[in-house]
Amino acid sequence: MSAGEDALERAFWQAVDDLKEGEAKPIESYLRLVPREQRDELGGMLADLFLARGPAPGSEGGESDGYRRAMAIVDEVLGSRGTAGILPGTLKAMRNARGIEPDTVVEQLAADLGVEGEGGRRALARNYHRLENGALLGSKLSRRLLGALASVFGVDAVDVAAAARPAAQGPGLRSAPAMGRSGGAAPPAPSHPPLPGPADPEVEFVERLFHGGPDA
Amino acid sequence: MAEFDPIEERAVEMLDDVQLEALRIKTVSANDERFEFVLWNLCLRGVAVIEKVCRSRGKASGLDEQEIELAIEDAAARMLLRFSRPDPQPQVHALAAEIAAACVERSWPSQKCAPRLTSRTPNLRLISGLDEAIETGKVHPNDWESS
Repeated sequence: MSAGEDALERAFWQAVDDLKEGEAKPIESYLRLVPREQRDELGGMLADLFLARGPAPGSEGGESDGYRRAMAIVDEVLGSRGTAGILPGTLKAMRNARGIEPDTVVEQLAADLGVEGEGGRRALARNYHRLENGALLGSKLSRRLLGALASVFGVDAVDVAAAARPAAQGPGLRSAPAMGRSGGAAPPAPSHPPLPGPADPEVEFVERLFHGGPDA
Repeated sequence: MAEFDPIEERAVEMLDDVQLEALRIKTVSANDERFEFVLWNLCLRGVAVIEKVCRSRGKASGLDEQEIELAIEDAAARMLLRFSRPDPQPQVHALAAEIAAACVERSWPSQKCAPRLTSRTPNLRLISGLDEAIETGKVHPNDWESS
């Protein structure tokens, strides 16, 4: 690479960096960094760059608290992406922004899904808590549950289902088996024998909603 | 967040909105980890619009400063949800404005209710003996000729 080409490349990347930092200088200050015969070429490249980039966010209020808080939410949600995609982060962010307690979400889910008994509600609360904390598999959430969540938060069910897509390289968590189903490898033997008695059908129903796959 | 290499990142940042949206669809459909960076860049462009719309419409709707900030946060989260979809979405500024408007328009605690007309309770008083007075012609019912 010739010295002229090198200078052109350096000037271009400096302009990109400055633009990224919100400190773009007048185009002439970059043109001065390259030999005269390369100024046309650099000028064209910078014009494309500024045109494609559009106005800097800072010029539309990027310094405000609202902007910073919104971008912090974006960072937090994307950073927490895991086995249920970005759904846990977005649920938590929307709930906090609307001042809704988790119990209220659980109550509304129970009403939507027809869960009336105490055991079913407890299972719903436990699983919703695990969902918000990213401890469940997005691929195991039922469509019915995703639809109910969409209804509670007033968003499109398609958005909720898309957000639950797991990250490609997420930690290899395995879904807890739905009650009464085989879950692959045998679980470790319990230290106490299970208590006798019929399983609560509502609890089974709730477990299937959260762990039984899209058609459960 | 999964990252492109630095030169790819710069290239992504330089894409215009249409190109960035095309890249989003491609990376989301392929479950490419780098879609997070694409999404982040789209949000960077959309949040400025969200803030502007929430602020202007929020003030017009009587929201206080804290509620406006919460509407901005809500809209940012909802925009992320929308960008998870593998199908094409409207241009980022238009989408951000639509979501921001929806977030402001939901009900807020400080919002004053619109004035409503209430029916006035009639104040009736019984006058004893009026029926007899009408029958005997002592008083006459009100009509357009006599009043």
